[in-house]
Amino acid sequence: MYLLFIILSIVISLSIFLFKKKNVTTILSMVFLASLVFTSSYAYLNINKTDNIFFRYDSLGVLLSFVLTILSLTTFYFSRNYLKKFDYNSRNVSIYYAALIMLITALLSAYFSNNIAVLWVSIEATSLFVSILVFFDRSKVALEASWKYLFVSSIGIAVAFVGILLLSISASNNGFTDLSFETLINAVGNIDTLWLKISILLIITGFSVKLSVFPLYAVAVDAKTIAPSPISALMSTVLVNAGFVAIFRTYTVIAHTEIVAWAQNVLFIVGLFSIFIASIQLLRVKRLKRTFAFSTMEHMGIVAIGLAVGGIGYYAVILHIVLHSFVKAGLFYQINQIHTTFKSKWIDNFSGYFKINPLAGITMLIGLICITAIPPSGLFVSEFLIFKALFLGHRYIIAIAALILLTVIMYVILTKIFLGVLYGNVPDKIETHKPNYLEHIIQIGFFGLVMYLGINPPEFFIDLINNSIAILN
Amino acid sequence: MTYLFIIIYAISLIYFAFAERVKKFVWLLVIQGLILFGMVYFSLKEIEIFDLIFILTETIVVKSIVVPWFLNRVRKHNSLKRIHEPSVPVFYSVIIIMLTLIISFLLSNNISDSKMHTQFLTVAFASIIYGLYFIIIHKNIFSHVVGYLIIENGIFMLSLAVGNTMPMMVNLAVLLDVVMGILVLGVFMNKVGNAFQTDEVNQLTELKD
Repeated sequence: MYLLFIILSIVISLSIFLFKKKNVTTILSMVFLASLVFTSSYAYLNINKTDNIFFRYDSLGVLLSFVLTILSLTTFYFSRNYLKKFDYNSRNVSIYYAALIMLITALLSAYFSNNIAVLWVSIEATSLFVSILVFFDRSKVALEASWKYLFVSSIGIAVAFVGILLLSISASNNGFTDLSFETLINAVGNIDTLWLKISILLIITGFSVKLSVFPLYAVAVDAKTIAPSPISALMSTVLVNAGFVAIFRTYTVIAHTEIVAWAQNVLFIVGLFSIFIASIQLLRVKRLKRTFAFSTMEHMGIVAIGLAVGGIGYYAVILHIVLHSFVKAGLFYQINQIHTTFKSKWIDNFSGYFKINPLAGITMLIGLICITAIPPSGLFVSEFLIFKALFLGHRYIIAIAALILLTVIMYVILTKIFLGVLYGNVPDKIETHKPNYLEHIIQIGFFGLVMYLGINPPEFFIDLINNSIAILN
Repeated sequence: MTYLFIIIYAISLIYFAFAERVKKFVWLLVIQGLILFGMVYFSLKEIEIFDLIFILTETIVVKSIVVPWFLNRVRKHNSLKRIHEPSVPVFYSVIIIMLTLIISFLLSNNISDSKMHTQFLTVAFASIIYGLYFIIIHKNIFSHVVGYLIIENGIFMLSLAVGNTMPMMVNLAVLLDVVMGILVLGVFMNKVGNAFQTDEVNQLTELKD
């Protein structure tokens, strides 16, 4: 069944690329979205079942596929508006949609991969399609961003592959001949701990480029800053989630071995360094999209810490990943409106947004409350649970260091955007546009969903999270 | 025979430290491609004949023909002749590659298994580490891609260690070449050269805030 979805996606993508007709692109995009909804629903109905030897519909995959499906639907809508505004030629538009469809397909494959090699291939494919999408407007700056992203991603992916190879060498040493996660969990008990540590370190380093955390975070931040806003929204959410899936599944392999304490320390270092770098960089950034790209890094740093601390932290991490996806997507969609209003990308040129467009100002304000984890944001709940786990686990220094850094980040975001962008005098020569109500409804809907899922999560949502982390407990 | 290929590959790595002409880099990559072809032919004897033919074809076509051809095209297109001075003198680079080979040899000695071709690991690790070093000491985009290809060749050799039990890993290593190598080389590298009129990495600074 899943292979059919992949084949259909490739056929649709190629057809859009070859025909280059607006109507064909619209119809085929809708067919793709329908097949995506169908596949996610099928996965939910067949939860915990394997689909050929390489894919499995586990709870984490299903949960993230729902997030991907919802964000894909909205991203197609925002992309349509974005492309219409800039009046790109049909060739560029067809490349955009063809690459977008393939990116979504690769992401879904990464979520459902039951084999570390297939997961690696899916993530490798995302690098390719992201580079094409970042290069979309053919500007010099887009070329630089896509070149750097592709090159460093390639290095990162090659490093991860070396880690996987070392793991496969060790597994093969013990008579195991496939690389499914179940096999690896059984195999690691017999693997020499030195080799296991080296391979885990390489895998985490390699996939850090996708999770947007220390050490290979820089190119992802650059790419998110330059990409078209709907693509930045996907890169900061569902692509980051694919990086999380890679690291989470790798972590499950070693969760019950003697090196787990060592792996936790590695994740603590990754998490703390990521939050530290994000807080330093946020003081310096001058572009709005860059601000939120570093905010993604901060949130993924929190996720790494939550995964390392364990206990209730596991639940909080999955909750955080899901909620962060909706908040960040809503904010990136809103940034596109700010760029259009001020005809600039620099924070210094933005002010008086409340006066220019009160509805958009309120939307941005709610988004800021959500992303800085101020109650009633659902992110407050997930962050609270992660810190609770840190204190219960007697990790006081990490908890206090992270809290101080988060306070700095909250201060910077609120002063730079809340005071700088929303308030102040309206600049000269600002053209007011008729608000697109549907765009606002989607953004506010996402922020509302984040509050609802954090405060009063439905039963099936809790079950999906608990089943996702069952293997770790 | 495999050991002969391994020794020639190690010599080719040392040659990279001495080379300054861009054309020489391309030829060294062709030679490495041929060495890898030989390694596949002599070592992957336990896999099915169809798999072997597929991997052999991939190796010779991608590593020895397509990738060097793309590189040569880019070299001509951007009129590249000589790589500017690397930030580390050649003498130190030669010492570093020697040390890398020794460390790689000692590291691979840690693994001993009758089912696996652990002899590949001796140069595979050296190739990966030297590729990274090569990228760090050069400021030129072309050299960065050459460094990346040296890493890829090392990874390919690493995959040969499990080639007989998991041929899928060898195919994935080639996939890494095909997708990333060709795209990075053929498409983006040319465009960067055209748009920025430079091949120096420190000129690519438009992204900074």
